[in-house]
Amino acid sequence: MPLLSVSHLSLTLNAQQILKNVTFSVDQGEVVGLIGPNGSGKTTLFNVLSGFLKPTDGSIHLRDADITSVSPAQRAKLGIGRVFQNFGIFREMTLEENVLVALEALPKEQRMLLGNIKDVVKGTLDMVGLSQHAKKKAGSLSGGQMRLLEIARTLKSGKELFLLDEPTAGVSPKMTKQVAELIAELKKEGKTVLIIEHDLPFISQICDRVMVLDLGEVVLNGKPKEIKHDKKLQEIYFGADPTA
Amino acid sequence: MLSCLLPTGNYALHLLAITSMTMVHVLGYNVIFGKGKILHFGPIAVSLASGYGTFVTLTWTGSYLLAVPIGIAMAVLLSLLFTWLSLRLEPDGLGILTIAMHQIVLTVVLNWTPVTRGALGLPQIPRMPWLQSNVALTSAVVLVATAWFFLMLLFERSTYGRQLQALAEHEWYAKALGINRPRLYLIAFLIGGIGAFITNLFYHQYLYLVHPSDFLFPVLIFYVMIIVAGKPGSTMGVALSTILLIFLREELRCLPIAASVLGPLRMMLFGIILLAAVWYRRDSLFPKKRTI
Repeated sequence: MPLLSVSHLSLTLNAQQILKNVTFSVDQGEVVGLIGPNGSGKTTLFNVLSGFLKPTDGSIHLRDADITSVSPAQRAKLGIGRVFQNFGIFREMTLEENVLVALEALPKEQRMLLGNIKDVVKGTLDMVGLSQHAKKKAGSLSGGQMRLLEIARTLKSGKELFLLDEPTAGVSPKMTKQVAELIAELKKEGKTVLIIEHDLPFISQICDRVMVLDLGEVVLNGKPKEIKHDKKLQEIYFGADPTA
Repeated sequence: MLSCLLPTGNYALHLLAITSMTMVHVLGYNVIFGKGKILHFGPIAVSLASGYGTFVTLTWTGSYLLAVPIGIAMAVLLSLLFTWLSLRLEPDGLGILTIAMHQIVLTVVLNWTPVTRGALGLPQIPRMPWLQSNVALTSAVVLVATAWFFLMLLFERSTYGRQLQALAEHEWYAKALGINRPRLYLIAFLIGGIGAFITNLFYHQYLYLVHPSDFLFPVLIFYVMIIVAGKPGSTMGVALSTILLIFLREELRCLPIAASVLGPLRMMLFGIILLAAVWYRRDSLFPKKRTI
């Protein structure tokens, strides 16, 4: 049984159809890339998957549970973690508090399994080399550091499915490598990742499968190698070849 | 004038009582408006409902044993209503509606004369047996305010405090972590409601009177000013700001100025303080709109 099944998902906002009959599934332990031009509905799809937008039609299942009408907070408790495009951290809080607030929001049973919460906070910041800034406000970090903090915080919160929205946007090449390593670590732990990216080499390197979204529809779905040379992908990104 | 500026005796006792009573309500309201950054302008409506609930019952039955639960129930009921509204309305809509709620409750109090005596208020409020003297009442209220202050400090540093702050900063990011907004808002509004109840319980015994003029809009403005000046969400800052601003408000009486001039002068001064505090905290007063 797939971990995530999305079936005939549609969304209409202000009389405009943003998602059209989107159907796909993601297996446990898979890393799936979601690509497509700007405005194709990638982030909107993530917003629907994490419960911030209610689909007009269709259903979402996490394992065998129908989560289509479940609230975002409840989805997080069921194991869906989200990394936002514009650094989803709390800038007025210290780095320590940013991690702490994520761990404290976990269901009680899960929190108990973590052991000493202070050690987990320290371990999380150590993992991305930010422990020396533990007491600083998160707003004082660089974009790359904010991204690492957000990813590390989400990874440590024991989720099953990770929705990463452009995790390398605004991040230096060195940190992009770090992000790739963190995702590889997740894969090794058997976690499932759905990732939006514009960086095709990065996607090819880390993903098992890539889906291409265009005008709210899944137009391609396959292995990175197959997708990379597909004519349709070239058309979506660069337009149709007039000489063809 | 010097003896007035350096409070002693009964005047010092009065300052201590008023500061402690105000602090309880303001610290409770600070959890909603300061920490949660919820645009709630109805704390005086909760105050009105719980104050009149308590003392109308007391006037009719003569029993604090009945009056106190009724006062608490009124505070809880109105807090539940505000929680429900806050979960269903956009912040600006909530702000306007809570002002309207304040006016509605005030209008009911002013016009339901057979029960509330309208604009005449409820005079001759008897004190609890162990609060007969001003010293006893002041000691009790200082004790309660101190305990309340430490409770609020604990709340600020607790999981709930952090989660409320996270929600205030970015609702979607907080929800994506699994933070439960309805539960946190309920807790915040209940704390605010209980704070209002405690303040009323002591304040009207202190004055021997419940009067509608104690529940007018300028009281809310004064509370907002205390919170903004003290740093919204900071228990320590708001407690200090309560002490300083009440001291300033009361000490202005010592100036050799006619009462007819002093009132407007005080309002103008408070307006300037609020303006300066908002300007100073303009970047952190309310969460910035951030895209996802």
